[in-house]
Amino acid sequence: MVGEPILVMLVEDNIDHAELVIRTMEEHRIANKVRHFLDGQSALDYLFHRSEYTDHAGNPRPHVILLDLRLPRVDGIDVLKAIKEDNDLKTIPVVVLTTSEAEKDVARAYYNHANSYLVKPVGFEEFKKLMDDLGFYWLGWNTNPEIKE
Amino acid sequence: MKNAENFLLPPQFNDDEANITARLIYFTSGGLIVLSLLFLTVSPLIAPDLTVRVMLLALGVIPINLGIMTLVRFGRLRLAGILLTMLIWATATMGTITTGGILAPIFIGYTVVITLGGLLSRNKGNVYLTLICIVSGFLIALAETNGMLPQPHTYAPYAQMTVYSFFFLAIMLMQNVTAGSFRKLLVNVHDSDGKYRSLLENIPITTYINSTDIKSLTEYVSPQVERLLGYPRDDFLSDPEFWKKIIHPEDRERILEENKQSIDMGHTFEMEYRLIAKDGRAVWVKDEATLVHDENGKPLHWLGVWTDITSRKTAEEEQSDLISVMTKRTIQLQTGAEVSRAASSILEPGKLLPTIVELIRNHFDYYYVGIFLVDNSRKWAVLSAATGETGRQMIASGHKLEVGDSSMIGWCISHGHARIALDVGEDAVRFRNPILPLTRSEMALPLISRGEVIGAMTIQSELPSAFSRVDITTLQSMADQVGNAIKNARLFMERTNLITELEGRNAELERFTYTVSHDLKSPLVTIRGFLGYLREDAASGDMIRFDKDLNRIASATDKMQALLNDLLELSRVGRITNPPEDTSFGQIVKEAMELVVGPNDEARIKFDIHPDLPIIHGDHPRLVEVMQNLINNAIKFMGHETKPHIEIGLNGYDRDGKPILFIRDNGIGIEPQYHERIFGLFNRLDPSIHGTGIGLTLVRRIVEIHGGRIWVESEYGRGATFLFTLPLSQTK
Repeated sequence: MVGEPILVMLVEDNIDHAELVIRTMEEHRIANKVRHFLDGQSALDYLFHRSEYTDHAGNPRPHVILLDLRLPRVDGIDVLKAIKEDNDLKTIPVVVLTTSEAEKDVARAYYNHANSYLVKPVGFEEFKKLMDDLGFYWLGWNTNPEIKE
Repeated sequence: MKNAENFLLPPQFNDDEANITARLIYFTSGGLIVLSLLFLTVSPLIAPDLTVRVMLLALGVIPINLGIMTLVRFGRLRLAGILLTMLIWATATMGTITTGGILAPIFIGYTVVITLGGLLSRNKGNVYLTLICIVSGFLIALAETNGMLPQPHTYAPYAQMTVYSFFFLAIMLMQNVTAGSFRKLLVNVHDSDGKYRSLLENIPITTYINSTDIKSLTEYVSPQVERLLGYPRDDFLSDPEFWKKIIHPEDRERILEENKQSIDMGHTFEMEYRLIAKDGRAVWVKDEATLVHDENGKPLHWLGVWTDITSRKTAEEEQSDLISVMTKRTIQLQTGAEVSRAASSILEPGKLLPTIVELIRNHFDYYYVGIFLVDNSRKWAVLSAATGETGRQMIASGHKLEVGDSSMIGWCISHGHARIALDVGEDAVRFRNPILPLTRSEMALPLISRGEVIGAMTIQSELPSAFSRVDITTLQSMADQVGNAIKNARLFMERTNLITELEGRNAELERFTYTVSHDLKSPLVTIRGFLGYLREDAASGDMIRFDKDLNRIASATDKMQALLNDLLELSRVGRITNPPEDTSFGQIVKEAMELVVGPNDEARIKFDIHPDLPIIHGDHPRLVEVMQNLINNAIKFMGHETKPHIEIGLNGYDRDGKPILFIRDNGIGIEPQYHERIFGLFNRLDPSIHGTGIGLTLVRRIVEIHGGRIWVESEYGRGATFLFTLPLSQTK
């Protein structure tokens, strides 16, 4: 794991939120690289090496996926299902990162094997702290499985 | 005295023949005694020389004859007969011998012997007697010729005549007795025949005799037949096949068949059937006939008896009528129970009514049962449930009758009373229904609930006069239950609809909360997040990023503003502010086009608005909003189509008669999995296209508030068609 570039996949339709996440991660040197997708469809295309992402080497599997729930085209929950139903992808930790606190969404996420569910905090310091902790936990403390290509 | 009197008359025996024999012997013996006494008195006067002989003769004859009479009294007729014959023979023989030969007048006594023997003996007894007389006569003649007999006595002519007279009288006596007996016997026979005949012709049954041949012709019929059937007896005798002609047509075949079998097999015929009397009545008879054979076993004729069993049959029929009435009542009660069970347990109007019409039709075996319900305008009664294929067809064709006096159902509904036509041909109120050609009786029963006539039930039968007063009462009570059940079912439906609506509202509220918690929070996250960075930008003096971040905050607040406006708008739709009116859909489209379609669009896109758009009923400004959104979407999602085309028109009517309107484009289209999602609040398929995602939510909301529905038919890349229904104008 050491020396291997750490790749975070961010699936987020809100450009501002994505900017917040990416900027915080960069500042805290949490990830070597963040790849951002605006909708569920392109995220799945990337993961399954479809469409413009057929090149395996240029489009490596991420170490962790940050997934918003309400997404255009393919919904977040459907992206989650597709990942967890795939034998190769299911080992990648998926962290749901959303504004929704609705119980229904939490339940649905865990039911579909989400590894974690985080609500975006309203407040700059809180947001930064969350990103910090998230980075430490999933990419530092947590022992991740080997990512298969 | 009585004994003496009895002694003068011969005893009575059971056997006619014995009686005759007894009389003959008795009176002959008695006569001989009387004659002997007479002779005793007259002979001294006319033949004094014979007196001694006569006295001796009389002294022998009288006691012997008394003895014979006694034997007769004891029933020893045969012995008495032989003795009497022998006595006379012995007297004649002795007289002839003693008086010197066959010329003696007493010899004539042999004729008495032969006569008496002939009368008394059976078989060949008199032949032997005659032979004995001839032989003994010849023996006497032989003895006389050889002079073995005393000198013949010469009689004076009177004496001779007296002896002859004695025998003449004796013969006459026997003749008299015998002839009298025979006459009496004949009278007896005649009497008893008359007795039997009178018995046969006075007992309360009719007897007949039929021939044994296959035709079974009537040879005799007793006169009671006239009382039984009213036909003169001669009808049967002059036409031997007459009885076959008056058998009731329904019974004829089986009776003639049975009759034929009886004749073939020779066994007893026993049947109950109806004969048609002269006045047309059906008379039930029990016919029993037996084949009578002669002593050699040869069949002679059929001896039959007709017994009138009409009253028994009537009683039986009455009983079976009673049973069928009871059975019918039981069925009615049972049906009533089942109808009430259905009425109380089935709450779905769509299921309740078909169940009830089927129940009533099947249990009572009616031809057709249907239920009409009054529509909202109260002008029409619409067929809502009906039995059989006919019923299905009529319902499918929207069969309805006008409330009023033009039909039985219409009359029944407008008056709230049951109406019956027992032979529909005679009741002008009913319109003969060509689909129900077999109806002969029809009943219309009002369905009343809480004093209001909500419909009527029609019950039709193939039988004339099929409904009795009791039927009407029973069925009306069922109809009352049905009326209440319909009301209950409607209330239940209303309740269910209310619940569904409430559930819908609830879900909407939930979505609203969700939206507030998610979509409104989202700009807040942005604002607060970049406020933090703004401070950092200021501290680091990175003014380029400061500007960018500030813009982000500004657009987030704009977004929030837009969302809040949309939410407000959506909540306003729930409370229609404009009163509904009849309005031309074409006009609505026109107004929406003016608001949405810019000059650029007009030049680029071909719009095809159908001219046959209906007049609809609704909130005009809101409906303009609907079209505005739909047209706007069609333009927005046109993609890079080179020949953009938008079509607005009418696509027929749905089951409730609402017009189905549509707007079709040849733009990018929508994948089937998103056909439902696009109507969700703030759901956007393409974030690159401007908007909050409220448009279709608003459209659906407005259409649903008008009682319509909206859906989309589309495939990705092949354009989209939005279809929706709206209420039609109520004044046509």
